[in-house]
Amino acid sequence: MSRPPEPILHLDMDAFYAAVEQRDDPVLAGRPVAVGAASGRGVVAAASYEARAAGVHSAMPMVRARRLCPDLVVVPPRFDRYHEVSDAVMAVLHDVTPLVEPLSLDEAFLDVTGAVGLFGPPPTIGAALRARIRTELALPCSVGVGPTKSVAKLLSGLAKPDGLLHWPTAEVVARLRPLPVGHLWGAGPRTVERLEGYGLTTVGDVADTDRRTLQRLVGEALGAQLHDLARGVDPRPVVPTRPARSVSAEATFDADVDDPAVLDRRLLELAARVARRLRRAGLVARTVTLKVRLADHTDVTRARTLPVPTARTHDVVAAARALLAALRLERARVRLLGVRCSGLRDATDAGPVQPRLLADPGAGEDDPAVDGRWGALDRAADAIADRYGAPAVSWAALLADDDPDDDPDAAPDDRPDDGPGAGPGPAATGTSAVRRSGGT
Amino acid sequence: MKLTVPRQDLADAVAWATRVAGGRAQLPALTGVLLEAADGRLVMRATDLEVTAEVGVDARIEAPGTALLAARLLAQLVARLPDGDVTLADDGERVRIECGRAKFRVRRIPAEDFPTPPALTAEAIEGSVKAHAFSRLVTQVGRAAAAGEDARAVLTGVNLEAADGRLTAAATDTYRLAARSVAFERAVEGAAIVPARALAEVDKAIAAGGGADVTVVLDAGQAQFRVGERTLTTRLVEGPFPNYRSLLPDASEVTVVVERAPLAEALQRAQVVASAAANTPVQLSFSEGGLELAVQNTEAGDASEQLPAEVEGGPLEIAFNPRYLQDGLEAAGTERIRFELRDGLRAAVIRPVAPDGEDADDLTYLLMPMRVS
Repeated sequence: MSRPPEPILHLDMDAFYAAVEQRDDPVLAGRPVAVGAASGRGVVAAASYEARAAGVHSAMPMVRARRLCPDLVVVPPRFDRYHEVSDAVMAVLHDVTPLVEPLSLDEAFLDVTGAVGLFGPPPTIGAALRARIRTELALPCSVGVGPTKSVAKLLSGLAKPDGLLHWPTAEVVARLRPLPVGHLWGAGPRTVERLEGYGLTTVGDVADTDRRTLQRLVGEALGAQLHDLARGVDPRPVVPTRPARSVSAEATFDADVDDPAVLDRRLLELAARVARRLRRAGLVARTVTLKVRLADHTDVTRARTLPVPTARTHDVVAAARALLAALRLERARVRLLGVRCSGLRDATDAGPVQPRLLADPGAGEDDPAVDGRWGALDRAADAIADRYGAPAVSWAALLADDDPDDDPDAAPDDRPDDGPGAGPGPAATGTSAVRRSGGT
Repeated sequence: MKLTVPRQDLADAVAWATRVAGGRAQLPALTGVLLEAADGRLVMRATDLEVTAEVGVDARIEAPGTALLAARLLAQLVARLPDGDVTLADDGERVRIECGRAKFRVRRIPAEDFPTPPALTAEAIEGSVKAHAFSRLVTQVGRAAAAGEDARAVLTGVNLEAADGRLTAAATDTYRLAARSVAFERAVEGAAIVPARALAEVDKAIAAGGGADVTVVLDAGQAQFRVGERTLTTRLVEGPFPNYRSLLPDASEVTVVVERAPLAEALQRAQVVASAAANTPVQLSFSEGGLELAVQNTEAGDASEQLPAEVEGGPLEIAFNPRYLQDGLEAAGTERIRFELRDGLRAAVIRPVAPDGEDADDLTYLLMPMRVS
């Protein structure tokens, strides 16, 4: 079987979070939607194309977005939901090839070299993927097909919204030339400004510039990278990610918090979310890590290894709470809380287990080791959440909450903690919290 | 206050009191060591409210009196004094400390806040234990106690129970349990859960050459240990202690006698591989020929080793947390040890085996095997 000349696909969901919200709630369809916290420091995590038409874009403060677009419907993010939908998208991609490299929740590279015999040439595969995601998931996406990762990614961007672009290898260099330098992967606003300051405004200008000169302008590594990309050179392979190494959730407070009760509530929420995500992925975790960012931006992390790997909300909450209590914050002001579970393994392959001789005294009926009700509670809560959306079942402590600064939906931004191999793609705000190790 | 005392006596006493109770200060007074000079004795006391350490040394008292001095400072200072007699004397707000040509004046801490430990009650029971036996018991049993801040308090303690002329100690972290008894010189009855940390300090006091016997006092809310010149009083951990006696198996299917040191060494070698991934058990296979110890770690590799052993019954395979097994071997301590097993899933017992013509202690180290799927 001959190697197809343009085997790399980049698939990017269009306005992913907003599209999911519009799909799940028909009332939002056709209206300008921004996903993000409505209050305080809230920023736009994603904007629908209707909102983008009014000038709203991601990472924009919500206050400004509202001013630009008075009809804007602000929807609190539901990261659990986006993770679910993302899993479904990635599952579709894996039907074509195991060589799938997710960059975040809503975009991935595919190397379809081995798939053309079954499914036809790469542009056909791209079109088929778009059709399946459209019909099965009712979501729009864009696909770029090219000889390299950078070209494929560039093309999915140019194809947006809801399109597909394919450049034959022979035409890549010529077609790159007239594009503005900002289209090159790695060229951020500062770099673009610098290059334009020296009269390099198009990709062609960069391609024609002496490599050493470019490196002097923007630095050794970036100069070399831009020079290569401008000439269509990009040898990076698609690296399929290994299974998740950790699952985490973080939340930045709208205003720094020193109230232990508020911290505890947010911690509950984060730990519950992480545990739920573990269960959905069919994983159990052995280590729970707490991260606290103080008002002065110093980070404190503490980890605890559990005697038995778990995906039980009760266990993750208990460990996270114990870690927070052990920090003795004494009302230090906290900017961010995070909970991470690592040491993951398949829940069905629980591995060796160290049973106890006797029940943990004092734990009484609450001891999950002797009380299966915690597991049953998780299953019931998951079932309800799957049906009605999270968090349908929660702690009373999280519900009896009328403090506007601690709206549970306020700003739970799941930080991208992708591994080193995830690539330098422009990070969407608030993306995957599933850390993957992309074997670099 | 004015007194003279040999430097070494003072240094040992201050160091011990400071280490036991001078560390965790909440009140300024708790950072201090209280010196009380009277009747030819200098008594030093330090407390962290949980544990109180008291130690006396013979001294030449010229003027009785008391002073509270910063414990760490005093300990460091005395440790560095030249050998010879040390003189301590009031000097207004300070205490003058002189040794040879070295002169210090150390500021007093107001002593009013220094807590007085509650006196022993009339219900207190008292008896004595051979110091070496007590020391051994503490190291054997304390190993099985839970450590760390997040452990339940009752698991950080050692349960002491006096009955029928014996003192029985037990500790468990719920995964393993160690229990043994020693002769208790007086036939009194009582029980108390003592922080394992406090018992470890008693052990150090014994090691420092306290005397031949340890006096054990069990009282409501506190326990006291007196060894030589040193007295350690500790608050008790609130119980109840788990009812562990019901867990001790009354029969076994397979018994194995094996040389302890070769097994411990094989275990340590295997642990190099086991520790590469968390939660990796060590597997023991007992058969007529002896025992095989094996670790399989998909990430790091394998290890296995054959050892001779006297096996009755079997064959049987069982897996343990390597650290818990190691602790059990160390707790038993004898040249040869015995495993008493039922099957691969129920708790296993490790006991010391007496050398010919000697009595072994009655240590029972009970540990729950790991379940390997």
